[in-house]
Amino acid sequence: MRVQNPNGSFPAFEGDDRDGSWVTSLAIVALRDYVPGIPARLRGVHWLLKFAGRESSWLWRWKFRTTDRHVRFDTEKYGWPWCLDTVSWVVPTSFAILALNQVSCTCGDFGQAADRVKLGVEMLIDRACPNGGWNAGNGTVYGAPLSPHVDDTAIALLALWDNKPDPLVQSSVQWLERAIKEVSSPWSLGWAVLGLAAQGRPVDHVLTCLRSAPDVNALEDATTTLALVCLALDRHNTLSALGVEI
Amino acid sequence: MSFTRRDLLAGGAGLVAGASVSAPFLLPRYHFDHRPKRSRVAILNVETYSAEIEGILETALREFPIHVIGKTVLLKPNLVDYLPGDAINTHPSVVFAAAECFRRRGAKSVLVAEGPGHQRDTQLVLSQSGYEEYLRSERISFVDLNRDELVRTRLRAGYTALRHLWLPLTVLEADFMVSMPKIKAHHWSGVTLSMKNMFGVVPGLRYGWPKNILHWAGIQESILDICATVPIHFVIADGVIAMEGNGPLNGIARRLGEIVLSDDPVAADATCARLMGFEPDRIPHICEASRFLGNSSRTAIDQAGETLGPSDVPFEVVPDWAYLR
Repeated sequence: MRVQNPNGSFPAFEGDDRDGSWVTSLAIVALRDYVPGIPARLRGVHWLLKFAGRESSWLWRWKFRTTDRHVRFDTEKYGWPWCLDTVSWVVPTSFAILALNQVSCTCGDFGQAADRVKLGVEMLIDRACPNGGWNAGNGTVYGAPLSPHVDDTAIALLALWDNKPDPLVQSSVQWLERAIKEVSSPWSLGWAVLGLAAQGRPVDHVLTCLRSAPDVNALEDATTTLALVCLALDRHNTLSALGVEI
Repeated sequence: MSFTRRDLLAGGAGLVAGASVSAPFLLPRYHFDHRPKRSRVAILNVETYSAEIEGILETALREFPIHVIGKTVLLKPNLVDYLPGDAINTHPSVVFAAAECFRRRGAKSVLVAEGPGHQRDTQLVLSQSGYEEYLRSERISFVDLNRDELVRTRLRAGYTALRHLWLPLTVLEADFMVSMPKIKAHHWSGVTLSMKNMFGVVPGLRYGWPKNILHWAGIQESILDICATVPIHFVIADGVIAMEGNGPLNGIARRLGEIVLSDDPVAADATCARLMGFEPDRIPHICEASRFLGNSSRTAIDQAGETLGPSDVPFEVVPDWAYLR
């Protein structure tokens, strides 16, 4: 709360510029059950509701429809960017959906939360890879289909926990269940546990792989991976904190 | 000859479009000139990835007056994402052969560092692309630049409106930066070589994946600002198997059979572009970098190793870059 920006956003790290970042969604989730953090959380939600990918502006929508057509997507569907002045991407949009799903109040600006969540969900569905799963942003660039990523797909499935019947969600779950068998890195395994569990799928085999995964400290800075592994190993509480109902 | 109103409107629109593309490069946006009087490039014929690369590099490096005794050498490969095949990432056999060569030259430490642009699971990329095994066996540290400690850094050129970037401490503290690109055609930037490779120092933690802020600030302009700010001291470009077409990920593998070494990133990239069958001065960032960062003209480059002849068949590119061929 000490590092929260005056505009309500949270920085990516202490000392960062004050324009705000994707971390704001995670901070909102982290403050969920912390009573002294309620004002900070509400300011964060206000900021998140105003924050949107550049394609939310009519000018950029027009540009993507007319002159810049190498990346094909529905310009009417937008979510959240990683940082200011860029377009929407899968992971920050998924985190923002999870954060805004926890907003129960509909007073004032908060009434927009449900609409932004709906738009974000539509964006995720629109930007999926042709055969299911998600890459970082779009599913097709320059006419070539992109390959899904395990972590991006798992995070999107986490955000789409309430959209299980959607055929694209189902095909993405199937892709993830196949792909994770070939993966041994803790980061991807950790996200796969949470994404599949959120979709009500069994994760025992993924957890077994995670417990026998290579040392997470193999990288110089493995703090984020270590934190994720802890969250995955405690998946029931983690999903509950994220507002996911299994 | 007569003009209709439609012709004039079309012509005016063309002028505006042309000016908007070239305007960033009409006025100098740099305040220094780091061009050496002469640049040195070596083109090494290497047909396959093997343990022999170390010996080839060792011999070729003797042609360069490199002083790394007591220095921290940072090897910056191009690790974007993993898809089967050898055409996307700098091959680990090249990177770890270079590491051994620099160690032998007395470097205090040699580390490999990269911030993959498309893939957030760096450990997965390292594992699938074969780096992890080398890192363990050679006991070399890898730094994930996407998650390193960051320092707010003023950009030393003004091609973008960014003015500053948060850059990894590991990069700023390195004494000797070796850019080790994969030679590839690139759908947004024409080519991705030693200078474009420096996008990997921009941290995903701050700017996201795939460093989208640089696309919005202008890819060619961002390359210039970053390379003006983070000097490249040496280049080892992997073109044993290169990529043409829809790079950096979805292109087609092209067996070029060359590794390019240089003490000047602009000379390295101009030479790689010529090997690809392109005219380097048609690539905006190479052309502009030759005004203040290095030499692109053949007359300012001393070349060793293989002869640089005309490419038999120029690399394929996406339609937007067809004029390079």
